[in-house]
Amino acid sequence: MKLHVLRPWRPGRGEWNRAAVYHLARRAGFGAGRAELDRLLAGGVSDAVDRFLSDDAPDARLLAGAAALLPQGEIDALAAWWMSLILSGKAPLRERIALLWHDHFATSFAKVKDVRMMHRQNTLFRERGLGDFRELLHAVATDPAMLIWLDGDANRAGTPNENFAREVMELFALGIGNYTERDIQESARALTGWGTEGRSFRYRAPDHDGGTKTIFGERGTFGGEEAIDLILAQPACPRHIARRLLEEFVAPNPRKEWVEETAELLVSEDWSIGRTVEVILRSELFFSPQARRSRIAGPIELVATTIRTLGARVPARLALEAAMRMGQIPFQPPSVKGWDGMKTWINAGAWVARHNALWRLARAHVEDTDEVHLDLRDSLGSPKSNEDATRFALELLTPDLVDGAFAEAVRESVRSAPSLDEALTGATALVLTAPEYHLI
Amino acid sequence: MNTRRQFLIDGLRVSAALPFLAGTGPRLFPREAREERVLVVVQLTGGNDGLNMVVPHRQDAYFRLRPTLSQDPRKLHPLDGDHGLHPSMGGLAELYGEGLVAVVHGVGYPGADRSHFRSMEVWHTGDPDHPAGDVGWLGRLADQVAAEDATGLPALQIGGGSLPLALWARSTFTPSVRDASGFRLEGSARFAKARGRVLGIERRGTEAFLAEAARVSYDAAERMARSADRPSKVEYPGSGFARGLRLIARLVESRFGTRIFHIELGGFDTHSRQAPAHADLLRTLSSALTAFLRDLEASGVAGDVATLVFSEFGRRVQENGSRGTDHGQGAPVFVLGGGVRGGMYGTPPDLTHLVEGDVPTTTDFRSVYAALEKDWLGLTPSSSLRALPLVT
Repeated sequence: MKLHVLRPWRPGRGEWNRAAVYHLARRAGFGAGRAELDRLLAGGVSDAVDRFLSDDAPDARLLAGAAALLPQGEIDALAAWWMSLILSGKAPLRERIALLWHDHFATSFAKVKDVRMMHRQNTLFRERGLGDFRELLHAVATDPAMLIWLDGDANRAGTPNENFAREVMELFALGIGNYTERDIQESARALTGWGTEGRSFRYRAPDHDGGTKTIFGERGTFGGEEAIDLILAQPACPRHIARRLLEEFVAPNPRKEWVEETAELLVSEDWSIGRTVEVILRSELFFSPQARRSRIAGPIELVATTIRTLGARVPARLALEAAMRMGQIPFQPPSVKGWDGMKTWINAGAWVARHNALWRLARAHVEDTDEVHLDLRDSLGSPKSNEDATRFALELLTPDLVDGAFAEAVRESVRSAPSLDEALTGATALVLTAPEYHLI
Repeated sequence: MNTRRQFLIDGLRVSAALPFLAGTGPRLFPREAREERVLVVVQLTGGNDGLNMVVPHRQDAYFRLRPTLSQDPRKLHPLDGDHGLHPSMGGLAELYGEGLVAVVHGVGYPGADRSHFRSMEVWHTGDPDHPAGDVGWLGRLADQVAAEDATGLPALQIGGGSLPLALWARSTFTPSVRDASGFRLEGSARFAKARGRVLGIERRGTEAFLAEAARVSYDAAERMARSADRPSKVEYPGSGFARGLRLIARLVESRFGTRIFHIELGGFDTHSRQAPAHADLLRTLSSALTAFLRDLEASGVAGDVATLVFSEFGRRVQENGSRGTDHGQGAPVFVLGGGVRGGMYGTPPDLTHLVEGDVPTTTDFRSVYAALEKDWLGLTPSSSLRALPLVT
């Protein structure tokens, strides 16, 4: 298909620079350290994008580690396990997509109350999150955690429960305004009989309403699979998913023409999320000024990209705790709507948590603990003076802002630091706690 | 009464035209009492079953439609001849008897929607026609307060979660706090000075929003640490909701300066096995609100605080097959406080005349808002609907 908005980026002279590669690393994955950013920069934009697409296998040892913790039944242990996969830097795009679908199909342990089921859903997002969206939606609809979360077991012939039918249309696939109350009621009937037994999906024929339903104007004795196919056939569906991908990878409030083209692309790529995201990542739009630092970083991405960019060694559990204090608890989104993102990430408690965690991380350079290790001389590239400390910190953490009022305010504050190490921690902490850094 | 209100609103316009009235010297008039008044909004999240909270126990239909969920009339706390409060709400009934509680029947909005999110958006924006906006009704009030006193913290969300749409504003940033302990800032004095310099540069767009958020957060952190640890004169129940109200009482008592508080109690989406869960929730609500009002009385500020209790919708009159109730429409709201005219308002539900199986909306929620916006806080209301005479 002919691309306009998403045409490939051909960087002009000097445009493929530190700021561009940093943008790619933080959006396609969870950031990269100085040495890796330099390597990606030297290889050119096409190879750099390839790296995020082709490095596709999670760390096998970490992945298998789940088996040992599942019997404990502790959801925070599972969340720390996921954080360790994110921090590993392996299969970066896969982990990004898993987080995106967790937010999109937001399911909470608060009601599911079973760590194995939450793990199973997380695995679904990791393994099939870049595949065919139609298959993903079908898989989510029969996912045991989802069935419990949205009352599949209570949805029976004669006493339908509309919970899943409503949210699949309102939030997962179509968006408000693209269906009627009748469509919800009739789809709920079609989905009757879908429930769980133990930790597995189970279809109970006696609970299924085999009568005639009318969904989006079509009449038939539809079952659950057919109801989902009818939802997927709505033109609003590819648009809804395109919008979601653009909000994540490009900018909040994507323009109508971006959504239209991306939706068309998604359908022409046989609903492949992976291939659609690839086109977005290679596009002029992705690297355009309107996409750069356009989102307020969520806690998980903020914590993970900071740790990875600085090359700090932080136990996954501590990284998780920091993100939780900032207001994002993996496996426990606030509602089926997920995290609202952008300005809702920010409140005084959350800002104090961001401030404290990032300040403490920077201080680890001079107050090395057993658990957290950070060597800023290494992370920033062997600075020799207070002046270097500021410049190198800006080049690494806010590479588009090495000149101007912001850089000057940091420089001014760091100039008189009593030692190079104090200059390094001071410059790093000032940049990390500045508003500019919290845009990703 | 009306004349004074009119004067206040007109007076602001006059003072803008005649700056000498608001000159730099001592105030010519004593500070308008309204400027000290505080609004607390309690959101019962999930759709509270209003019919089992304010029970119409004289109506046969109530018992017929709710074979397992109807409340025993002998256990209710009587409000008037026709209505009683749920058995676990003794404290609130006592406050009602003292004239501190207004009960407004059948409150909702035109064109009821049974989606939690859409319904919440309507209540939060105060705009049933364009609920998907990005400014909330409390945010609009916060902006007005900030326009008069830019140094204060006009609004606070208590609970620490993300900021509800109700508090989204055009120019005011509202922090959300769980408790005072989440407010301890790390960093040296030297670092605080340096970050002040970095925050001081000019910014635009989202960066400006973040800088303002950071400034407000640092300031709130410092001031909150000072007022939150004061002891309260009243014993509170152990719930997180009660702790939140206790914090609000401390902040009001210490004249923290915040005029609008928002706090949530969740769990009201009782689709199945409603009775025990709902009884617990109403007990949590009633006992915490009772302690809160007694505390404000003991601190001498009960007359300065009005509290609105609402939920996004009521529930279906007929109970469902799993001993629960599904999403409905109109429901009662409470307004309580020392400056509230206690009693019943609006049209009590008539269960023989339901709309799609629901208690219909008989009072537009905006007429409750107007009473709080205009009559209570002395600010410009978000609609032109006539205010119910709920407050003095």
